[in-house]
Amino acid sequence: MSTDLADLLHDTTVLHRFVDFLEGYCKEHESSKTYPDSSGEFFGYVRRLSAGIKEQLPRQIRLARKFPHRLPTLRSGILALKQYLRILHALVKPATDAHALTIPAPLIDLASEQLRAVDAMSGTQVVVLLASELMYFQWPHTQIKLQATLVQEFIPRAVLPPKLGFIELPYSQGPSFFTNLNIYHEIGHVVYEELAGSSRPNPHFVRLKSSISRWLTLALPSRNRDPQSIAVALRIVENWTQEIFCDLFAIKLIGPAFSLSFIEMLGMLGYLSRSSSIRFNPTHPAPAFRLAEHLRSLSDDGWWEAIHDTNCEQKRTLAKLAAIPSSSYRFYIDEKKPGLQAFVINFLETVAPAIRSLVSEVTRNASCSASQFSTDRVIINKCLVAGVVPHNPGGSALTPVSIINSSLLFYLTSIAELIRHFEKSNERVTVEIYSKWMKRVEAWTIKAIDDSRLYAQLVENRRAKA
Amino acid sequence: MTPIDLQDRAEYLTLALFAQRIVSVLMAYVDEKKSAKLKGALEGALDSLQRVQHPTLSRSKVAAFGSYEQLRTLDEVWTDQDRTRAVRMIRAILRAPDSPKSSKIADELIRLFSDLQNQALWNFEQPKPVSPRVMQRLCQLT
Repeated sequence: MSTDLADLLHDTTVLHRFVDFLEGYCKEHESSKTYPDSSGEFFGYVRRLSAGIKEQLPRQIRLARKFPHRLPTLRSGILALKQYLRILHALVKPATDAHALTIPAPLIDLASEQLRAVDAMSGTQVVVLLASELMYFQWPHTQIKLQATLVQEFIPRAVLPPKLGFIELPYSQGPSFFTNLNIYHEIGHVVYEELAGSSRPNPHFVRLKSSISRWLTLALPSRNRDPQSIAVALRIVENWTQEIFCDLFAIKLIGPAFSLSFIEMLGMLGYLSRSSSIRFNPTHPAPAFRLAEHLRSLSDDGWWEAIHDTNCEQKRTLAKLAAIPSSSYRFYIDEKKPGLQAFVINFLETVAPAIRSLVSEVTRNASCSASQFSTDRVIINKCLVAGVVPHNPGGSALTPVSIINSSLLFYLTSIAELIRHFEKSNERVTVEIYSKWMKRVEAWTIKAIDDSRLYAQLVENRRAKA
Repeated sequence: MTPIDLQDRAEYLTLALFAQRIVSVLMAYVDEKKSAKLKGALEGALDSLQRVQHPTLSRSKVAAFGSYEQLRTLDEVWTDQDRTRAVRMIRAILRAPDSPKSSKIADELIRLFSDLQNQALWNFEQPKPVSPRVMQRLCQLT
């Protein structure tokens, strides 16, 4: 056997062992733990792909024996397949870690249900991953889809389920509730990518793309327009577009609760100082601009008025940063280098209005109601102060969005009141006591959401039977 | 948030798989006289190569060269003449797939796309930041 052929045999054997492990790993976890359906779909894909690769490998050896001058090319092909598996490998472990006991399942279920009510998103599924980084992420699935389509040419049975997105939660935040409201932003990325890849594009998305073309003409001087510079400029504007789209999308679905938990997250990462908050960078628009967009959306939908009597730090921060004039925003291409200011000016004037229209359009059947919240909030507050799970005996069911927003506002402003009710008055309030009652409010919120969804299911079932 | 590093690397891998598809189809055509997938794959390659001068946001299912990473890889491994030659060779094969000449041309194309694939796989392993030349064009006072 030639050395080259022996090398190819080695490559294929290593690949065989690799996919054999992945296949077994998925099977083992699926049989021992409970996962959302979306994870099952993903594991199924990995299993089919692994089995398909094992079937195809002998063909590579046959080709190499028959056409030895192709050996280097065949080895490159195997390497490309291995690298694709490397991407999947990075997804499989955090997906198996995200089982029913480690993720906020009621919130994930609720968000998935809301997602399917968004225009053209029925059938979309989100695989949850538990990540080691203290940050919420969405794995851009457009590239994975493109790669899966190309791999399918060689492994025909490996069909990636359509409309499968991936979001990452920090493993430490799995059990908490309110911080995880940030997943709505990440789900927004999934929606945006689906809209961008749709074979029947939404007319508002087409308008957004036109506004981006206009932006390019206005923002990048014609002497700077070579293909690579255009591609980078488009990447930057698309990053900004997606971030604003996702923020507004999240607000449409769950109201101010998203903004307030988002501010908590930004504060934790140190992005809320005045100097940081006015900086656009190649991946993100300035936090001050994002919050100005939050405030605009909340005001337009009546939410800002509905929470006017709430006085918490997060709301004050939102108002303060949103009030920074847009003329203060600056774009930096890296830590120190100022980028073309025309990028920012034209983004605000040309692209931002198109993003707003698109979000309003796609969420028209999924957006939440501020007036319902105002009615429900009184009942929910009474329950929480009394230390019981929010419910409305004899009345109409509380909506999950009302429960989330009322409970979060209570969590941010009224834990001390709860402690005064339930703890001995002469006892000094410690972090442990505070934390205990915060956890309780979260637990009551989760239970209330579960109850609300169950009740809605019951009503729907009765209606169907009638 | 999106993990940008991974996103950038993923662009290289997509290009490597794109090139792999072309190479596989051409090898089947030259070595095994199979041409069932030839037309679709070569038309996709032609379409992508013709769009190189005009990157856009929208990406068709099999198109390449829409991102900075893919354009840069292409520039690293092919000259402008190589690109023109590749377009000419693809057209020739599509025009006369049964001609014995096309088989020779396909062999040359396999070499070009293999080089592209290898560079894309190398860049996937060793991703590079945006070049200073491009950065400069996006900065003030250029």
